[in-house]
Amino acid sequence: MKKKRYLRWDKQSATTVLYPVIFGILLLILWQTQLLHKLLGADTFALPLPGRILRIIFDNGPTIIENIKATVMVAVGGLFFGSILGYLLGIIATVFPKWGAGGLSIASAISAVPIIAIAPILNNLTKDFSDVANVRSMFAKTIVVTITCTAAMSINAYRGLNELKPYSLDLMKSYAASKLTVFLKLRIPNSVPYIFVALRVSVPASIISALVSEYFAEFIIGVGRQIRENIVLAQYATAWAYIVVACAIGIIMYGILLAAEGALLKGRK
Amino acid sequence: MIQIKKILSSKYMVTLVWVLGLILIWELGATVIEGTKRSPENVLPHLHQILASVFTTNKVNGTQTAFQIVLSNGGITLLRAGIGFVIGAGLGFLLALIMNLFLPIEKILFPYLMMIQMIPILGMAPIVLAITKDINKSRIIIAAILTFYPVATNTLAGFKSVEKEKHELMYSLAASKFEIYRKLLIPSSLPYFFTGLKISAPMAITAAILVDTLQGGAGLGTVLSQSLKHATTIYIFWQIVFLSAIIGILSFYLMVLLEQAISPYKRKKKK
Amino acid sequence: MKKRTGSLTAAALTLALTTAALSGCSSAPEKETTIATTVAESTTGKETVATEGAKESASTGKYYSADAKAKDIVEDAAKKGKVGNWGLGNEYEVQALLSKYGQNTAFLSQAFDMDGFDDNSILLASAMTYNELGLIKNTYQGGYGYGDTVNFIDMNNEGVAMLEDNIFTTKEFASANPNTVKAFVSASMKGWEYACANPKEAAEIVFNAGSSVSSEHQAYMAEEVKKLVETDTKGNKVTELGKLDDEALQQTLDLAKKYIKLSDSTAAEKLQTLTLDDFRDASYWNDAKDGSTLGKPEKADVSIQLKWLPQAQFMGYYVAAAKGYYKDAGLNVTITPGGGDIGETTAVNSGQVDFGVTWDANLIAANAGGMNLIAVSQVYQRSGLVLVYKKNK
Repeated sequence: MKKKRYLRWDKQSATTVLYPVIFGILLLILWQTQLLHKLLGADTFALPLPGRILRIIFDNGPTIIENIKATVMVAVGGLFFGSILGYLLGIIATVFPKWGAGGLSIASAISAVPIIAIAPILNNLTKDFSDVANVRSMFAKTIVVTITCTAAMSINAYRGLNELKPYSLDLMKSYAASKLTVFLKLRIPNSVPYIFVALRVSVPASIISALVSEYFAEFIIGVGRQIRENIVLAQYATAWAYIVVACAIGIIMYGILLAAEGALLKGRK
Repeated sequence: MIQIKKILSSKYMVTLVWVLGLILIWELGATVIEGTKRSPENVLPHLHQILASVFTTNKVNGTQTAFQIVLSNGGITLLRAGIGFVIGAGLGFLLALIMNLFLPIEKILFPYLMMIQMIPILGMAPIVLAITKDINKSRIIIAAILTFYPVATNTLAGFKSVEKEKHELMYSLAASKFEIYRKLLIPSSLPYFFTGLKISAPMAITAAILVDTLQGGAGLGTVLSQSLKHATTIYIFWQIVFLSAIIGILSFYLMVLLEQAISPYKRKKKK
Repeated sequence: MKKRTGSLTAAALTLALTTAALSGCSSAPEKETTIATTVAESTTGKETVATEGAKESASTGKYYSADAKAKDIVEDAAKKGKVGNWGLGNEYEVQALLSKYGQNTAFLSQAFDMDGFDDNSILLASAMTYNELGLIKNTYQGGYGYGDTVNFIDMNNEGVAMLEDNIFTTKEFASANPNTVKAFVSASMKGWEYACANPKEAAEIVFNAGSSVSSEHQAYMAEEVKKLVETDTKGNKVTELGKLDDEALQQTLDLAKKYIKLSDSTAAEKLQTLTLDDFRDASYWNDAKDGSTLGKPEKADVSIQLKWLPQAQFMGYYVAAAKGYYKDAGLNVTITPGGGDIGETTAVNSGQVDFGVTWDANLIAANAGGMNLIAVSQVYQRSGLVLVYKKNK
């Protein structure tokens, strides 16, 4: 279940991968031998054994891949648009501090509306977007993820663009640098680590909101939808197979993020 | 004095303009929907209709008006969100501390913390329910699980952000580990901790509403889902949308206030 | 196809986002304004399928003629991909009907309102006779006022009826607390009898018990539920309320085996081996009817989880509580509304509640998945599910 992440790091990276894997194997053993169930007081019904879950995953490969595709498309699309929107908001808030701060609080207000409230609204609003149920559902779901990813990015981008190293701004001023130069040479580079802080929150959030938005979508597809259908039908083993898939998507996306972070922030420290 | 007032009033002006702009866009949409849909209140009602539903005295069930239902259930949800948030935030900080103290633990736990976030509430709920045998306890626990992650990651990032020079200075002063944490690491991680809190406070509200929908009983999410399933007036849904947004903003500003009260480190001035 | 969808979404999103700027929420209304111009010209203002739909519907009329055969309606709607159902275990009868007429069993996910039916994104929509059908026809709050301009296909007449609301518990609980089960069934049936004899009063009782559905709709629902409780799948009158009709249950099981698709091969295999005895036990109902063998309940404080939100669909239990029938039987009953994602089967199986109301298909699926649940009474004697469509003017 735990895929090894091959990231070319220094010696430390060996333990970074090894420790969680060992822990994971230990956990799996506890789980399969039902010691975990005794520990938690759960039965094999609510927490099915890994063997059975794996078997379901192998038995239903094509169906699962179909569902993964739908979910990943929504999550990545929403993450992409949400992050760009959030960063733009951060920039606007920096350029026009007076007006931008209001925008930031509006963004965080909207993100405070629960996804389960946003998803059905958008489902209704996008009814006329396309005649094909799948397309309009995709559209509605992507907007939901976009909204959830915007707030985290905008707050962090704003911090990254403004919390500069001491005196750096004065230094730039002493060079008589234009506002644009300050942005390009100082603020934007300074914000890069903050972008990753935001992404560390919004990558998992994008997947969760993609899963939840699928509950309400008109077109029945996606990992989240399968989890819900199976839980409601009391098919916990199958539901868990999809939960494992959801976790795997999350880990892989997070791994990609870490790799990108490692590559981009290498020379910094 | 006059100047301060001016700034204040202009700040309010900004927010006012923002809000007015949003209202304008909303009303525009609502007018269009009204002309094209049969039951516009299901898609996008006019704001005055929502407001009217707040102040109406018509009872939607035996004893309560729509707004009374929302308020009484809101209190229950808010309480759960509050408890969940405090537990989650405490847990998040503690975890960050432990992970920073023991590197192997960080390496072991970090991927799994993220994985827990990936498990949809729906998958988690039956297990937590099987353990607690009580839906309300389960709701609080799940709300806590959903809120601790931003706090943990942000605080950990705060611990790591401390410059090497400062560490070395502390070391040269022969400071004990405890002192390093008390005097250096924890204070300098506070801004990050609060960033985490600011993200997770609205999330706690969202989470509390979300876990309400798992089963019947009382709570905002329960009536929200009833309203969405058209078992009661749809305006309950719209009221909750606004109420949850308002509570979300308030919780955000509550964290800002808390930050200002606790940490004297940066009063608007950049270092 | 997939790829095009993605780029389409992307293009539209950027458009929506740049025009609406800044606020995520505002993007949607903005989009609506652009659509409005194209929609406004159609007379109803709701026709979304202006170009493609027109060609097909020209020959047959926009909807279906009043004397159209079920076969033709199902075929047409299925070909257009516009058959709707809520899914989540409610879809098997619809799928059985679709395959009866040789169609693909795919369907659209229907929301819990009838807006999709109203705006024609669904041509053949699922409806419960006692709930959605009333909303479509009537004009009271939440209603769409279609009156007699709609017609429906009845699952009972099509021979694909599956039984719905029952009373169930775990095998374990029933064998440990037989008297409690008998007392509960007996008192509940008294409640149902009274409710069916006095549907108006029953609706009132449910409304006062905290239901949020309008009292008019509640009264409509009570009348319709009465029909489902007092008539069987063949249209015969039922005199003994709540009895376990093995013939209808067998049909339910047969259809369930065919249409419940389980990805878990262990569960799927188990499903095929299930027999009536695995999910229903008539002995408690028989003893309850007899009345003479009722002993003292082993457990007096019991709870029942409904399948859905409080409404006249469950009037029997509310009446039994209000009229003191439960108290007379020595029981203290808590009624828990359903409608959440933790289903009634899970709630009963985990011991969080003692009894539940569910559809037999859900019970069968749950038992295939490893639960040990039994129906102890079958309250609804025929299917309340219909597929509703609009008639041509």
